Amino acid sequence: MNSDFNLISELHNTTLVIKTEGYINNIGGEKIVQEFTKHGDVSKLILNLENSRVVNSIGISHLIEIIEKLNQTSGKLVFTNLDPTIEKTFSIMGLFQFADKAENVESALNN
Amino acid sequence: MLTSFQHIIRGSFILSDLNIYHKKQFESEWNFTHNGRLPDPSDISYFGNSGNRIIQYFQNEKYIASVVLPLADKSYLGILIGPKLGGSEFSDFDKITLQILLQVFDNAYKSFLNQKKEKELIFELNEKVVQLNNLVDTVIEISRFENRDQLFNIALERMSSLTNASSSSVQISRDGQQISVYTFPQNLKLTEIADSEYKIQSSFVHNNLTYNFTLAEKETRIGVSGFNELDKLLFNAIVRQVNASIENQYLNEQAIEKEKIEQELTVAASIQQRIIPEKLPSIEGYELAGINIPSREVGGDYFDCIDLGNGKFALIIADVAGKGIGAALLVSTLNAALYSYLQFDISPTEIADRLNKLIYKSSPSDKYITFFIAVLDSNSGTLDVVNAGHNPIFLLRKNGSLEKIDAGGVGLGMFDFGIPFKGQNTIMNSGDILFLYTDGIPEAMNTMEEEYSDEKMIDFFVLKSEKSAIEIVDELVQDVKVHSGKAPQSDDITMMILKKN
Repeated sequence: MNSDFNLISELHNTTLVIKTEGYINNIGGEKIVQEFTKHGDVSKLILNLENSRVVNSIGISHLIEIIEKLNQTSGKLVFTNLDPTIEKTFSIMGLFQFADKAENVESALNN
Repeated sequence: MLTSFQHIIRGSFILSDLNIYHKKQFESEWNFTHNGRLPDPSDISYFGNSGNRIIQYFQNEKYIASVVLPLADKSYLGILIGPKLGGSEFSDFDKITLQILLQVFDNAYKSFLNQKKEKELIFELNEKVVQLNNLVDTVIEISRFENRDQLFNIALERMSSLTNASSSSVQISRDGQQISVYTFPQNLKLTEIADSEYKIQSSFVHNNLTYNFTLAEKETRIGVSGFNELDKLLFNAIVRQVNASIENQYLNEQAIEKEKIEQELTVAASIQQRIIPEKLPSIEGYELAGINIPSREVGGDYFDCIDLGNGKFALIIADVAGKGIGAALLVSTLNAALYSYLQFDISPTEIADRLNKLIYKSSPSDKYITFFIAVLDSNSGTLDVVNAGHNPIFLLRKNGSLEKIDAGGVGLGMFDFGIPFKGQNTIMNSGDILFLYTDGIPEAMNTMEEEYSDEKMIDFFVLKSEKSAIEIVDELVQDVKVHSGKAPQSDDITMMILKKN
């Protein structure tokens, strides 16, 4: 089945910024993991979810996978531009115990 | 974990070669587990075909030992141990050390599986909390939306994310004809969802529109599957909430519309109150009494007695088809036009002709007025009358004979064929009574849906003819009320009695 998911990424030294668009489901989650894995030596991943309003638990499991990989290398994941519903979901799922959140990409880059 | 284990074994025995394999279950094929030079495929024959833990040692072979280790998740680890660097033998101490390392790995793997299981349980528990929380939020949000696009889009988003569905849709149709479609994701075609192998559907009908929701393909990390009972529960809960939201919106609109109609009726009632005379003129040598009791909905009854001067009076009774503000405005038009025409000395037939043209032009085709006018010369007792489609008017002579006055034509505003109205002349003598009324009297219903009837009305009128005009009016109204009992008044009750002394 077709997906509405797209992403673009930028690498700033070892900080990877990924901006997503669309449903973060299995396909969306896999694409984020692929993009993260592709860049190898990443110490900080900033995930800009400004254009993603919907996420399911399969998509979340991919994000947890990234968090675990980053934790193994003392790296960190920062979510930005979170929709309130997604923020609440991430909070309940415990993602913010191991990942940070920031209002926007700029503040995530500066911290 | 395997890489670490491999390093430990290789380091402990200082081996020249070490290959580790894994298979998911007993019947599965062995898979080589780490990168590097691929070993000879025939090497797996060293493992034999047993499901138990086996350690075999070989002399003068490519490998000095092979291990088959059954694991807690029913998978198997296969280890091929090459010769030690330097060529020394695999001693008894080495064999004991290998046994210990295998036990340590087995325990570590069990611990790893337990941790994994624990993580999965926590994930599932959190997922349930998210589902419950999002369901509550969704129900609240959906009940707030007045915009249908937002309502359907948010419902589809939420039902998809709560059930891990790949996509969802709602198809709205009337009599099998599709009116509109919403999908999530929005760029998806309905056929892609309809063609899905795994889907569940739920629908409801409101106001002749069928809303058919579809949820397609439950996602897992390894593909798609069918939906479980919890998914169906969540899906149906959201669909039911959308249904409730649409119904509430509809009822709200109905309430607003009702309020608007009630406001219109208030306006209509105030228009009518200004037109219906508070007091009728007194005519020397006659008794005149009249009444108008409007029904709950503002009706279109009208009556009046206009002093034309020189002892002449115009008695008018009329009934507009329909109720509400439209009827009230038409009565208002009739009243204004009548007062205008009656300023000139023109005959009732001419008045009826002019009114017919005016009403025909100024009202829709379903609106017309039944109208009766009698111009009385109080000095001579002559009556010049026209009945335009109204109920027959009765003239009860002193001797008891009852004359019906129905000459005239069709109701005002029904047609404009240019056919003149026919007039009628008669004379009222002492003791004669003229009875003008609208159909609200004979058609008054009781709770058994029985009409008061023309016969009963006429009989009562004749019976009470010895009484004064005002007494006849009051007692007839009372008799109609007794007949109606607890049944609501469905139409205006209007009448006038003119009695010559």
